[in-house]
Amino acid sequence: MMTGTRSSFSRPWLWVGVAALALAPLIGGSQYLLSIAVITLLYAYLALSWNVLGGIAGQLSLGHAAYFGIGAYTSTWLFVNLGVSPWIGMWGGALLAIGAAVIVGMSCLHLRGAYFALATIATSMVLKTLVENADQLLGGPRGMEVTLLRDAPWQFQHTRKEFYYVIALVFTGVALFVNHRILRSRFGYYLAAVRNDQEAALALGVPTTRYKLMAAMISAGMTALGGTFYAQFVLYISPDKVFGANLSVVIAVVCIIGGRGTLWGPVLGALLLLPGEELARAMTGGMVGMDMMLYGLLLMLVIHYEPQGLMAILRRLWRRRAVPGAKEVTP
Amino acid sequence: MNTYFQALLSGIASGAVYGLIALGLSLQFGVMKIINFAHGSFLMMAMYVSLLACNQWGLHPLASAPVTAAVLFVVGWACQRWLIDGIYRKESSREPIGVLIFTTGLWIFMDYGALLVFGPDSRSVSHSWTNEVVVTGDLIFTYPQIAGCLLAGVVTLALVLFMRHTATGRAIRATGQDREAASVLGIDSQRIYRLSFAIGLGVLGVAGALLLSLYPVNPFVGDIFGMRAFVIVVLGGIGSIAGAFWGGIIVGILESVGSQLIPVTYAEALIFLLFLAVMYFRPRGLFGVENE
Repeated sequence: MMTGTRSSFSRPWLWVGVAALALAPLIGGSQYLLSIAVITLLYAYLALSWNVLGGIAGQLSLGHAAYFGIGAYTSTWLFVNLGVSPWIGMWGGALLAIGAAVIVGMSCLHLRGAYFALATIATSMVLKTLVENADQLLGGPRGMEVTLLRDAPWQFQHTRKEFYYVIALVFTGVALFVNHRILRSRFGYYLAAVRNDQEAALALGVPTTRYKLMAAMISAGMTALGGTFYAQFVLYISPDKVFGANLSVVIAVVCIIGGRGTLWGPVLGALLLLPGEELARAMTGGMVGMDMMLYGLLLMLVIHYEPQGLMAILRRLWRRRAVPGAKEVTP
Repeated sequence: MNTYFQALLSGIASGAVYGLIALGLSLQFGVMKIINFAHGSFLMMAMYVSLLACNQWGLHPLASAPVTAAVLFVVGWACQRWLIDGIYRKESSREPIGVLIFTTGLWIFMDYGALLVFGPDSRSVSHSWTNEVVVTGDLIFTYPQIAGCLLAGVVTLALVLFMRHTATGRAIRATGQDREAASVLGIDSQRIYRLSFAIGLGVLGVAGALLLSLYPVNPFVGDIFGMRAFVIVVLGGIGSIAGAFWGGIIVGILESVGSQLIPVTYAEALIFLLFLAVMYFRPRGLFGVENE
């Protein structure tokens, strides 16, 4: 399955097309469209981060909000209380999230499938509850406001959305590169082996726990950086928004809908789901709940048609055109 | 001392209902190995059905339980037949991630659908019975607490007996343990799946009717209890019906007694911490069996 993703990475025309599409909103985008684009890219980035553990290594984490929240809260706390620029503070958040991933990983990574998924949800719920109770330090359930500085790029802030758009593009580009490198490395093959058949991988001498833990650390660190970005973009964080189980589920869903374990799947998932949500909101204008209902319906339809995600659909279409009668290769 | 004793008994009463909520999830989990994220939304649906039965038709809250159970049973059957079956079959050899995402979509769809239909307000059943109390010595209990505890116990016991002593029950357990082997023995696994999903939701219907007397309903009520049901199921041991019941009781006690000692919000964390501890030392859950 990975041969396709690898070769597509080295096709220059693809990159020119992607770059052109990615830069288009900078030329003729309204601030409203740009902010949708920023959020879409942020979720593409988060899904790519999740992909390292949830896709490539196949460990269904439903607690990534924990790392996102750690990232958002750490940099914001450092910024508000000590005046540390979020550009620096975000690395503090990433380090803390990596530490958390080690703790979570040691206690949960021996669990399989659904058990792992539920244990990770529970972990993020514990963290959320703790933050909700930290009234003095973190503002409790009310959350924290990021000190408003307006045009201060060195403090990760700007009034223009273009600023955030370019950063989100760079974030997503780097995440794509990280995923690409992992997918074609020995490390990535080991992770794929763990995903496909853990017993067999173990029998062949792959230190499965160590590799899973490494994937969890990379995934957590990347997710935490996304948390900082979110805090600086929205300028307000609360336990509900950044630690909620909903966020964890959405991150996983974006990646799975797109195609987990593939390079472009997470991006595709974000491109479909986030503007889809916005479109539904615009279409139903004013009817509270209708947009989310359509969103839920969209999820159901995509999965009903292809549980392996959009990438599987695209690949099938592509194969049918390129090599008539070629057999589908499933992971 | 008495406050703690009272808290302990109240915890058992609400815990029995939590256990009943978790029971259906455990059954679906155990038989099909699927994570049904829409479980909380089905609970919300059950509560609204019960609310309509009580407030529109003037049914007694307890009498609404069989009605709700019947409605949810049919919904469960239809849901498995027309929605989940196809996705499940497509990837039954792998981990059923598709069902997880599908039920996530269903969860969002149902919650916001309820918001559209019923509005955001919390509503509770208007029946004097819910406020009547029994006083014994220093201890005070409401009728719904007592009825909830008893009925939850009866339903759990009935389901345990059904699973152990009827041919259908044994077929369900056999399918959960080894689908291929069960098929070889002539068990129609599709039918078993529909039945387990339907029974699971039917039991949830009873739980919803009981819960409505203890807790008001709103479109997002399922999020709280659904998430807790997951914790209870894994705590008790996936697929273990008795485990779900005792898991519910433990969570109920922890919540009730815990909030006497520390702030309520921390008591919530206590539940998840216990869960993590159990996961670490007994990944199969408290009542889980070591097969699979």
